[in-house]
Amino acid sequence: MIRLDDVSKTYAGGHQALQKVNFHLEAGEMAFLTGHSGAGKSTLLKLISLMERPSAGQVWINKHNITTVARKHIPFIRRDIGMIFQNYRLLQEKTVFDNVALPMIIAACYSPKEIRRRVHAALDKVGLLDKERYFPKMLSGGEQQRVGIARAVVTKPPILLADEPTGNLDPKLSLEIIKLFEEFNQVGVSVLIATHDLGLIARMKYRSLTLKQGRMINDGLAHVESEEVR
Amino acid sequence: MSFLFKDRLSRGAHTQKTSFYQRIVGAITGVFRQWLASLGEIWRDPIPSILTIAVLGVSLTLPATLYVVVKNAESVKGNWDSASEISLFFQTDISQKQVQRTVKEIELMTQVQKVEFISSKQALAEFESLSGFGEALQYLDDNPLPDVLLVTPQATHSSPTFAAELLEELESLNEIEFGKLDIEWLRRLEAVVKLINDALTSLALLLVVSVVLIVGNTIRLSIINQREQIEVLKLVGATDAFIHRPFLFTGVWYGFFGGVIAWIAIELMLMWISLAIEHLAQLYQADFSLQGLGASDMLYLLAISMGLGLLGSWWVVNRQIKLIEPQTT
Repeated sequence: MIRLDDVSKTYAGGHQALQKVNFHLEAGEMAFLTGHSGAGKSTLLKLISLMERPSAGQVWINKHNITTVARKHIPFIRRDIGMIFQNYRLLQEKTVFDNVALPMIIAACYSPKEIRRRVHAALDKVGLLDKERYFPKMLSGGEQQRVGIARAVVTKPPILLADEPTGNLDPKLSLEIIKLFEEFNQVGVSVLIATHDLGLIARMKYRSLTLKQGRMINDGLAHVESEEVR
Repeated sequence: MSFLFKDRLSRGAHTQKTSFYQRIVGAITGVFRQWLASLGEIWRDPIPSILTIAVLGVSLTLPATLYVVVKNAESVKGNWDSASEISLFFQTDISQKQVQRTVKEIELMTQVQKVEFISSKQALAEFESLSGFGEALQYLDDNPLPDVLLVTPQATHSSPTFAAELLEELESLNEIEFGKLDIEWLRRLEAVVKLINDALTSLALLLVVSVVLIVGNTIRLSIINQREQIEVLKLVGATDAFIHRPFLFTGVWYGFFGGVIAWIAIELMLMWISLAIEHLAQLYQADFSLQGLGASDMLYLLAISMGLGLLGSWWVVNRQIKLIEPQTT
């Protein structure tokens, strides 16, 4: 589903964020991407979501090489990727309903009825159906993150990328969020979660990719990896 | 709609069954929604918008006022046609018959609008009554004054160059001794009118440019203020056009409201000065009333101001939105 071939990324100024990274996330697979801050987790996600371009190597999504895709095609590629962020990235002056509906409004190929149905389904999934008229700042961090997740999944994208989705949440809430990702994964969505919350990963039996100073140093099951890092 | 996953939207059987027609309708309602949303955006945070709109209104009022001035000046200029009147003096040694025939001939020329014949007797009588030399003239044996024909050229031939050409043509007639046309005066008048016109036009152009700049700057600031939202939109797959539209619409709304303010300002101004103008006209025994902006002028004003608003926003939106790329931190 997502494949990186010998991908390197050097930022302007010479900082080498990624060096010759290879990995392949299968369709319907769920994996964690770990490593210390600055190890290159965010850069890797940015390369997949086309917020950055690789300096060398190739990025493939569903057998399409997106390394050199034209700028005008980027929005359409992003519509196939549900993205979740540490700081939620909600529109503060829009209601929860409008935030979740946003990807469908942008795609402009859903009827109002369809939009309502899907928003309600997504909000029901994350347990916020009764808060659709709230504004983001009236919600707690965990609730805002769940709105972010509802927005990411409302168009049923085949890929979910999450960048430190539990970074601002306590362990109990974090687990709930990860459980949500598990549920999406069970219906066939490929999920890649970047996190440095090793305790959380250790409890799950998922593939874990570890980055250290821009290199992929481990690609295996979580419990093996977490011991090594410790 | 999906680039990477050809079958994606058809996978969920009950979800996507939109016909081409439905898509068109969806796209139009989407644009309409953005159009209304941009108005709502102005409504929600009115202070900066009101200030911008007020500045636009003032900036538009000036060129529109100039337009009203020019429009009124043009109606006044209609009274200046006599400026290019040509006086033709006949030879004194020709018969009345020949004079009459020449008058007819000139009257029938296409360049001539009308002629007025003043016989030497009439001229003498007029001279006597106006000059006060009445008694002195009694001593003259015969009338020294020639017959005179006042020729008014057609409007198309009343400019100095054309009038001069016409004069030359008329002078070439045998029966005419010479003709007179006060071209210098006409040339000066025309030069003054042209100067005023050019000055007003360049002033209007400057103000129009300032409208574009003001709208552009306001839109630029609002784009910078909404950087966060624009990044979010880009992250969830909004095209540049989708992000541009609300800002372009806002520019058009600014132009619209600025135009309305300009129109109101002009109407108030006209009400204010029309009484004074009428009083002045009465003192000059002229029948003159100020013309305001008509309905079509009003529509032009709004169309132009909305166009300028669009131009101003379009000018910055393209570049400014390209500068904003999403960051995850």
